Amino acid sequence: MLKGVLEGCVLEIISRKETYGYDITRQLNALGFTDVVEGTVYTILIRLEKNKLVEITKKPSDMGPPRKFFAINDAGRQELLRFWEKWKFVSSKMNELKEKKG
Amino acid sequence: MNFWEKITGSDLTKEFKSYESRVAKLPADYQAAWKIMNANLWSQSDFTGRSLMPILDGVLGLFEETAADGQSVQEVLGDDIKGFCSALAGEAGAKTFRDKWREQLNSNIAKKLGN
Repeated sequence: MLKGVLEGCVLEIISRKETYGYDITRQLNALGFTDVVEGTVYTILIRLEKNKLVEITKKPSDMGPPRKFFAINDAGRQELLRFWEKWKFVSSKMNELKEKKG
Repeated sequence: MNFWEKITGSDLTKEFKSYESRVAKLPADYQAAWKIMNANLWSQSDFTGRSLMPILDGVLGLFEETAADGQSVQEVLGDDIKGFCSALAGEAGAKTFRDKWREQLNSNIAKKLGN
């Protein structure tokens, strides 16, 4: 269930500020998605890259190899809008379902 | 890639050698995970393994970044390496033996049905 949602989460995080995998993972963990690991985020980032929703730049880091930084592009912004529309629909329907139960 | 490289796969061997030397610089737990991943990923490859090379390169990059951060491989991949591999191969769009068989089956059936 989380799979499709996570892609939207990652895109939202990228849309706020250019960022990299480790940072995204930590933000998701802090949000409460505690079992999200860097590997999960990595596969999502690959998919975003393949679908051309993000731009990538490599920047040197103080230690280790250069990091890949991700920034959202116009196609990504449109996709993000679509994601939140879909999310609004799903969550409102879910709430409706739950409230009808009682 | 020239004809000679295509036939012998010598470019792959060279590339793979460079991967191995990068792997050798990683911590022990990463090296163990790399071995398991390789075992899992190669079953998803096409005949030459060419489709797998960019994927392996990407994973190595991820390993190098996270190892430099001082994370353990467990923290990076979680406990489902197999799942990670199939997500990788699936999403990076590597064509596998299975895809080929599936296509063959589909086209055979289509032919039989006269489409």
